[in-house]
Amino acid sequence: MTVSTSARPGPAALRRGPAALSLAALVCLVLLALALFASVMFGSKQTPAADVLRVVTGGGDEYLRTVVESRYPRTVLGVLAGLCLAVAGTLMQGITRNPLAEPGILGINAGASAGVVSATAFLGVSGQRDTVWWALAGALVTGVAVYAIGTAGGGSSPVRLVLAGAVLSAVLGAYIQGVALSRPRVFDTYRYWVVGALGGRGFDAAWSVLPFAVAGLLLALVLAPGLNAMAMGDDKAASLGVSPVRIKGAGLLAATLLSAAATAAVGPIAFVGLAVPHLVRMVVGADFRLQIAFSTLVGPSLLLLADVVGRVLLRPEELMVGVVTAFVGAPALLLAVRRMRGPA
Amino acid sequence: MNTARPAGTAEAARSHPAPRQRRGVVRIGPWVSVPVRRSTLVAGAVALVLLCACAVATLTLGRLGIGLAELPSALMGEATGKDAFVLNRLRGPRLVVAVATGAAFGLSGALFQSVTRNPLGSPDVIGLGAGAGAGAAATALFLPDTLPVSVGALLGAVLAMALVYVSTGTGFRSPGRLVVAGIGVAAMATALTQYVVYAVERDKASALTAYINGSLAARSWDDAATIWTVLLVCLPLAALLARPLGIGEMGDDISTGLGSRPGRITTAAVLLSIVLSAGAVSVAGPIAFVSLTAPQIAKRVTRGGGPHLMMSTLLGALLLVVADLAAQQLPFFDNLPVGLYTMAVGGAYLGWLLVREWRRPAV
Repeated sequence: MTVSTSARPGPAALRRGPAALSLAALVCLVLLALALFASVMFGSKQTPAADVLRVVTGGGDEYLRTVVESRYPRTVLGVLAGLCLAVAGTLMQGITRNPLAEPGILGINAGASAGVVSATAFLGVSGQRDTVWWALAGALVTGVAVYAIGTAGGGSSPVRLVLAGAVLSAVLGAYIQGVALSRPRVFDTYRYWVVGALGGRGFDAAWSVLPFAVAGLLLALVLAPGLNAMAMGDDKAASLGVSPVRIKGAGLLAATLLSAAATAAVGPIAFVGLAVPHLVRMVVGADFRLQIAFSTLVGPSLLLLADVVGRVLLRPEELMVGVVTAFVGAPALLLAVRRMRGPA
Repeated sequence: MNTARPAGTAEAARSHPAPRQRRGVVRIGPWVSVPVRRSTLVAGAVALVLLCACAVATLTLGRLGIGLAELPSALMGEATGKDAFVLNRLRGPRLVVAVATGAAFGLSGALFQSVTRNPLGSPDVIGLGAGAGAGAAATALFLPDTLPVSVGALLGAVLAMALVYVSTGTGFRSPGRLVVAGIGVAAMATALTQYVVYAVERDKASALTAYINGSLAARSWDDAATIWTVLLVCLPLAALLARPLGIGEMGDDISTGLGSRPGRITTAAVLLSIVLSAGAVSVAGPIAFVSLTAPQIAKRVTRGGGPHLMMSTLLGALLLVVADLAAQQLPFFDNLPVGLYTMAVGGAYLGWLLVREWRRPAV
């Protein structure tokens, strides 16, 4: 993410025309609607589109209704988690000016996992409502640590932050596995949770993390103009009356809230937070207000579609959405590596 | 992205300070004569003594340990009853495997880091372990009776390295790309592993998780024979590469000027490194960060340039034996796989290394 510092990098240069934007928004909305519909339509039991449509609009027979409605919780969870991860990724990439920043790669998800595992193993905490606080604490501590290590000695190249994230993920991973392996009960719940799956969880999972998600999203929207100013460089932002330190701190807080909410609800899911901001930037340009708004549409669509693919691929078995996103997202990352410029 | 430094004379001069120590020469008959710094010899001897001490501790400590007084006679083959069981079945093979596996990881890391000229260009940082884990998991799920898990790990490791090599577009040369590509490959491998651990039943999942993290529990003499064969075949080959690799670390231009062929040497070293790592992985699972830390410590101990192959080999063995001693004797957790200890400690060490590197104004 390099922003040109030529004559006038004003907002006009970063924005697309209103007609193009409305068209893009329309396309994204249609995509989201399709993803929502696909998420309630596909599953281990095949249900024809016409019947699903009847159920959704309030008709259909008892049996069909039960089948289709059993897919509502995971759809809601998919929307929530997709939104959280996408906005978190957008914020992180904006704040760190790092195209590789993402809650999964930077180790925030590992921090949240460590928090959850510690709470269930040592404090006997159970249930989503209580573990979410621990996920948040773990994510927050890890986020600060990654940023501190990655920017040690001033300056932060993309690879540095990624490395700091990888290092912390490794250490936390060892801790998590150690705890899980020495406590069979924890291991059994942990191995189901750690894959990152939308299925097998109820509406509770969504409700208990909703306040965090909403708080993070509101904070992100409030920060968007400040992030726009910061994209022109810390000095210019300061001269416009924006405090870079405050924006960075608050932005990282919002990103952590969002990733912790998503991780507590559905387990660690990688690459959604990486891919969505890149896709969105291609469409709407560099304005963070638009980036965040479009991320809330594209993130859920992407995660729901990945979940649908996982349901269809091994029918009647299921592939967890975390596995699907890894196998779609990692090749994209490898392609990005090939295109990295310069000798590094 | 400025992790890659220009390889030139200035750089070479900075990282290879003129040796002030006195040099001796080690001769084996009329055939071999190797110049060695005296401090390196001393450090090697200390490491060797420590290794022996840890080996004795591995055999004697704990409730099942062989008494220190009985150890010499037990080693001469006069052990009976409990001691014979502990020596021949329980801890003996485990110790012998630990020494050779650690040595293989250490040597592998030294070769790879010499080629990439970067501590991060170490096979376990760029996804070899994750690939091996995925290979093992996939074999356990899809081909449970046709293929041994260790062969699956081997295939997974080689496949992962091939994928990293292809996706960087510049081979194993640029550390930045290498690391990011390694993370991408590792992410896919880990996702596959987690799916398998989720899909199989609990006991199998637990055993698989232990193997994937790298474990030395319940090794047999067959395992020992495998890894010692790999090590003894590769060691002389590595010794042949030591000198050209040392020249290669001064940069491609200088080494070409000195009559070396960087391309061939690089390929040979990388292949040797992967064979060593894969052999170690197939015996003990992907034990993390030994191949990262051993060469780094060797570099600091010997305080000189060059690939420190022998020192890294020795330190790798020492590190793994110490870690395994901790895994067996530490009271907090019961019999955790040794790989978890090396991952935790090695990860912390890597973090410290990075911070130190980045604090330096030159980078």
